[in-house]
Amino acid sequence: MISGTGIVKTFRQRGDVLGKNEVKALRGVDFTIPEGGAISFIGESGCGKTTLGRIIAGLETHDEGEITIGGVAMSSLRTRAQQPHFRRIQLIHQDPYSALNPTRTVHQALHDPLKLRARETGRSSQWIYERAEELLGLVGLDPGYVLPRYPHQLSGGMRQRVVIARALTVDPDVLVADEAVSMIDVSLRLGILRLLRDLREQLGVSLLYITHDVATARYIGADGDMYVIYRGQVVESGPTETIINQPVHPYTQSLLSAIPVLYGVEQPGAEQVTPIDSLTTAAVGETVDDAGCLFAPRCPFRTERCTRERPVLGDAVPALQDAEGRVHACFHPIERQVAATSVQAP
Amino acid sequence: MTLATAAHAPEGGTTAPAVRIRDLTVVYKTPAGELPAVSEIDMDLPAGTITGLVGESGSGKSTLALSLLNAVQPPGRISSGTVEIDGLGDVVPLQGDKLRRVRGGQIGYVFQAAQNSLNPLKTVGKQLLDLGRSHDVDDLRALVSEAKELLGRMGLDGARVLDSYQHELSGGMRQRVGIMLALVLNAHVVVLDEPTTALDMITQANILEIIRNIHAERGLTTLVITHDIGVVAEVADQLAVMYGGRIVERGPVRSVLGEPRHPYTQGLIRAIPRLTGDIDQARALPGRPPTLGTIPERGCVFRDRCELRMSVCDTVEPVLERHADQLVACHAVAGQEPDGGAPTDDGQEQT
Repeated sequence: MISGTGIVKTFRQRGDVLGKNEVKALRGVDFTIPEGGAISFIGESGCGKTTLGRIIAGLETHDEGEITIGGVAMSSLRTRAQQPHFRRIQLIHQDPYSALNPTRTVHQALHDPLKLRARETGRSSQWIYERAEELLGLVGLDPGYVLPRYPHQLSGGMRQRVVIARALTVDPDVLVADEAVSMIDVSLRLGILRLLRDLREQLGVSLLYITHDVATARYIGADGDMYVIYRGQVVESGPTETIINQPVHPYTQSLLSAIPVLYGVEQPGAEQVTPIDSLTTAAVGETVDDAGCLFAPRCPFRTERCTRERPVLGDAVPALQDAEGRVHACFHPIERQVAATSVQAP
Repeated sequence: MTLATAAHAPEGGTTAPAVRIRDLTVVYKTPAGELPAVSEIDMDLPAGTITGLVGESGSGKSTLALSLLNAVQPPGRISSGTVEIDGLGDVVPLQGDKLRRVRGGQIGYVFQAAQNSLNPLKTVGKQLLDLGRSHDVDDLRALVSEAKELLGRMGLDGARVLDSYQHELSGGMRQRVGIMLALVLNAHVVVLDEPTTALDMITQANILEIIRNIHAERGLTTLVITHDIGVVAEVADQLAVMYGGRIVERGPVRSVLGEPRHPYTQGLIRAIPRLTGDIDQARALPGRPPTLGTIPERGCVFRDRCELRMSVCDTVEPVLERHADQLVACHAVAGQEPDGGAPTDDGQEQT
């Protein structure tokens, strides 16, 4: 199990000693990845979800807060001693075209981490070959075809499968998939999502899925939790189906309303929410002073209290903070049905 | 092969040119000979409508769009066919200066990743002036105020944006600048290549709204190219599905999505994970899309991934035939309902 409490990350520009131009990427985020479970981080670009993923994978440091991996608090360890813990968490990048070294064959890409693994566990070099073939079989590739090839000889979907196989070489406990299918052809996307789901069932690896595509997040982790992140703060989290079907935070509702509706097959949700000033959103977000609710400048339901006071996740108002795990950071939570539904009953 | 045209045209639609593509073939020169990326396509863009062109990478959708500008780059070339645009005639024989004036002048093109199609060394305003000069615009002041007005309508501060370099703008803002540059010379035909790829959901919804509004205000004829059926469902009137360089299904967007006939369209729609309902309704399409080298020379291009494959599919290429509202190129669909009657929903399961 991996958990984080109060993760804060602030990026400063060079020479910005007074912190005038600092970017608050994360403002105190709590999360839990249960053993063999799946959770997802949802949000717009720039909301901090990728930074959080990189911190969890040990590729980025954080300023405040604590990450606990398998009961061990990372802050109690030196950087070197942290490494074996972070190795249990493997990151799958968005872009399978740049994640593989173009001058090395698939065999070479898998060989090195496996060699390391073989040395650790005292296995023979024969095992490396067997294991490489086994892993490629696991991700649905034909080892005989793929092993001797260079990345450019493979399609995007195959490359992403190779990247997943490479992540599996070190027997990780958690796979962090950051927009793992957004660059894959539409007809092949579902295959990769399916593979991640199968790996979770077969190997018991946990999944952290980072995306702005809520429907794929639901496909991967319908039984897990969903965290909706806005400007570095979790604004709503809880069981995936609850968040999609009865969201209470206006930001979650705007995000779900923005998903294209497959007219002809689906109909839009009855109470869709559009953020105000939606056309100039990019400009608004940056200039708000930090006193009130972060979403208040774009929120169609804001009141005077929202611009004065910052709501705290799980503690803003008692209403609609479920015992089942749904928590939100909104002073005026109302359940709205915004997700598109199928026209014909299934 | 013309779809009902005038039905969707807005009031201003009479002046907007329609585009007629006939028998268009575009080939790329490879070591294995000249291979067709787009073969023998007939398509109309009815005046005043938004047509969505959906296909995966390598389906030839971008090549088809580039041939509207006669801008297919070597080693590719248009080997046969015509692209007629109202008021311009056939653009395929155009060359040199004449062609340059048509591009950007009458036909606007918003490139894939408009984020990266701006010059990083010049402000947006300078690039706008370059565009004006290269099209011999006399009144550059008017051009600038037109650009500001367009940007204003898309929710941006025109003066500020024109003074900015591309790195000072966010992805959604750059995309809007791309749309502005495509429209500022009063283009009537606009091609948008992957307008929302790499944008997140809320920005995507905004851009789609802008496309819809501007399209209606200016009475444009718009072609939206994308791999995302959801995007097309949101903005388009007409939908054409491309596979392996051919159009396999075409028709009004709601009928194609609601009652897809071609097995590829059905598979594509089935492969989209949904927000509600049974998760396992979504099923992956087996196999993978063909590349230029693996497109079969004879027979149906989709047969290797098709569950309705018959022996005739190996030898004879299906042609687009009318079934109710749609045009479908599939032997199995043609066989199912020779009279063109509406099939039942579970038609594909019984076969």
